[in-house]
Amino acid sequence: MTQATQHSSRPGAGSSEPLLSVRDLRVTFQRQGEEEFHAVDGVSFDVRPGQTVGLVGESGCGKSVTSLAIMGLLPGRGNRVSGSAIFDGEDLLTLSPSAMRDRRGSEIAMIFQDPLSSLNPVISIGRQVTEVMERHQGLSRKQATPKAADLLERVGIPDPKARLLNYPHQLSGGMRQRALIAMALACNPRLLIADEPTTALDVTIQAQILALLKELVVDTGTALVMITHDLGVVAGLCDEVNVLYGGKVVERGGRHGLFRDPRHPYTVGLLNSIPRLDAARGDKLSPVPGSVADNLPWTAACAFAPRCSNAIDPCTAETPQWEGDQVVGFRCFNPMGGTR
Amino acid sequence: MTQTSDAPDVLVEVTDLEVYFPIKSGIIFDRTVGHVRAVDGVDLSIRRGETYGLVGESGCGKSTLGKAILNLEPPTAGSVVFDGTDIASLKGEDLRHARKRFQMVFQDPMSSLDPRQTVESLLLEGLRAHGLDTDTDATRARLRELMSDVGLPVAALSKYPHEFSGGQRQRIGIARALSVGPDLIVADEPVSALDVSIQAQVINLLQDLQDKLGLTYLVVAHDLAVVRHISDRIGVMYLGALVEESGGAELYDVPLHPYTRALMSAVPVPDPQVEDTREQILLTGDLPSPANPPSGCRFHTRCPWKQETLCDTERPQLRVVEVSGASDSHRVACHFAEKIASGEIQRHEVEATITTPGFGGPDAGPTAPPEAYIGV
Ligand SMILES: Nc1ncnc2c1ncn2[C@@H]1O[C@H](COP(=O)(O)OP(=O)(O)OP(=O)(O)O)[C@@H](O)[C@H]1O
Ligand SMILES: Nc1ncnc2c1ncn2[C@@H]1O[C@H](COP(=O)(O)OP(=O)(O)OP(=O)(O)O)[C@@H](O)[C@H]1O
Ligand code: SF4
Ligand code: SF4
Ligand SMILES: [Mg+2]
Ligand SMILES: [Mg+2]
Repeated sequence: MTQATQHSSRPGAGSSEPLLSVRDLRVTFQRQGEEEFHAVDGVSFDVRPGQTVGLVGESGCGKSVTSLAIMGLLPGRGNRVSGSAIFDGEDLLTLSPSAMRDRRGSEIAMIFQDPLSSLNPVISIGRQVTEVMERHQGLSRKQATPKAADLLERVGIPDPKARLLNYPHQLSGGMRQRALIAMALACNPRLLIADEPTTALDVTIQAQILALLKELVVDTGTALVMITHDLGVVAGLCDEVNVLYGGKVVERGGRHGLFRDPRHPYTVGLLNSIPRLDAARGDKLSPVPGSVADNLPWTAACAFAPRCSNAIDPCTAETPQWEGDQVVGFRCFNPMGGTR
Repeated sequence: MTQTSDAPDVLVEVTDLEVYFPIKSGIIFDRTVGHVRAVDGVDLSIRRGETYGLVGESGCGKSTLGKAILNLEPPTAGSVVFDGTDIASLKGEDLRHARKRFQMVFQDPMSSLDPRQTVESLLLEGLRAHGLDTDTDATRARLRELMSDVGLPVAALSKYPHEFSGGQRQRIGIARALSVGPDLIVADEPVSALDVSIQAQVINLLQDLQDKLGLTYLVVAHDLAVVRHISDRIGVMYLGALVEESGGAELYDVPLHPYTRALMSAVPVPDPQVEDTREQILLTGDLPSPANPPSGCRFHTRCPWKQETLCDTERPQLRVVEVSGASDSHRVACHFAEKIASGEIQRHEVEATITTPGFGGPDAGPTAPPEAYIGV
């Protein structure tokens, strides 16, 4: 396959051993009086140092639950997690809560869609950033303060010294997201997981934040897992892309390969559904028909079959297995294209 | 005035429209301390049968303008003329009659649909309000027709809103708007809450209905790709005013306003090759508050082409410019549009400024400080 070398377009990407190796991750929710619900249904992927890996898919496909499970942040009750998430030789899923807390914020950091809910409203931005450094790096507040100002400057917050004294509500959404990125970077994490970090922002502010993330990844060598529903964001940012549907990775590929020659009918359907700024008006969109409510259970079918224009007999009788490896592949009986 | 104002095919004519919201003092709520200039001098006309797309970032006043056009928000100044009649002059029965001719579709259909009513009773409510439920058989046929128009099974009539997915609920919202047979539909972010595959279904539905029923649309959205896809003409808004207006294709080919160029360059395109090669114009800093808009050109605090003269002192008006590729229906509000297009004026760095959101700011965040701070 030609794709194996295609995705390593950035320095440090793709060459070394994985930093994070997720294998057969499953998260099952037991809702009151209902059948078990498989939110994440056997997800595997690798993230190498310096690499940006995208998890993309529509609402409810399991992107957030995947990241929360890896970070040990799922609500304690009502769910079952299995599989493994090997980070630096250790399985994060079996770490004690206190050991996981130590990793979080120092070696692995996370940014969420809504910065307001991740920032404490009654503590100044400066205090929140220095606290992370005090906790994980053993710095005193005095030592940490100038570093915090440097960090804010680094993430593009104007007049950083004055901003240290601001409270979250005094900053705009874009500035808050920058502050949150500064906090996430405070301890030079090796892995950053960003869950829809720009979805709540205006598009010109989104462009600023994406440019910042891109720059930081190159400068610091931090690996980035980018969770988004926007294939445009993926196209601009990710070295490797995992397309999720109904809790499973249905296709994976390098950035250029996946967009040039998508194999899974769902990936193709998504691409055909997006109105493009550079397309002529009048071109009709060809949306994927139906909705996720039509999904079949993966246990004896392809979940996507009721919405798939390529479906053939086995699609409603068997589970399609993964064809490929940790770099490229898809899960489909009757794939599209086929030049890669 | 627009050059089309006297043409017969204009359905909606908006002139010098202003909608200001008073800002009340945070603790004593009866003192007005200023105004949010949500819509601050807009001129536009919507032609019969076309789709006019209004695009701009959060807080620029798109929704307020849409509501003012539907007479749901009283204008502070200016006028909205619908099919020859100034809507502000309408009262009582005349107003009710006119309302039937313009309907609205909202972003979040759930919040606009009463959860305790079945789809049938939701639709009947609209028909009755306008005296259209006269004959039982005709009404039944009408309901079935509406369901088939928006692509829902007839069985959906007896269900409740929560039994539907987001995309289906949007179809119900569209059916309700269509039920009274309007000429104009104002759709405010009709697809922004939907997943891409569902979004595309609803976009196609809106286009099909327009072809079938000859509807006129005003589509208000923050997503330029969506707006470009469905609009004949596009108006780009920034801080309460139009900065550029033109046909959709022309706006993409020959964007004249610096803000339009920045906005366009910020929209991600699902194609790595395009993403790697295109020019990005990154704006610095925050959107200023519409309660305290910058002097002169409202974009001057962030404009990468800002000049020493005029930009911060004089407010540019929408005008037609002589630029190759720009037709005479293409209007732009920039003092230096010609020189920017010709390359005579080059892009430069901009010092970022930060906006502290307060009351009525452009930000969706809290409008008042958390209680803990009051008095600190
Ligand atoms: N605590 C929970 N209890 C029960 N079900 C849950 C819980 N959290 C998530 N789910 C379900 O798991 C599925 C996957 O959710 P997840 O939040 O991962 O989706 P997502 O891909 O992040 O979607 P979005 O784009 O909307 O954020 C959804 O069907 C969701 O309803
Ligand atoms: N009823 C109101 N009272 C006070 N201020 C208001 C009111 N409605 C809107 N505003 C303010 O007017 C400005 C324009 O609001 P509007 O909702 O029209 O923006 P928009 O372009 O639709 O933004 P969005 O994309 O976030 O929907 C904003 O600053 C908003 O806070
Ligand atoms: S396995 Fe069958 S139903 Fe599923 S995506 Fe492939 S062709 Fe379509
Ligand atoms: S008038 Fe001046 S500040 Fe405004 S857009 Fe044109 S160049 Fe920029
Ligand atoms: Mg999510
Ligand atoms: Mg709005």
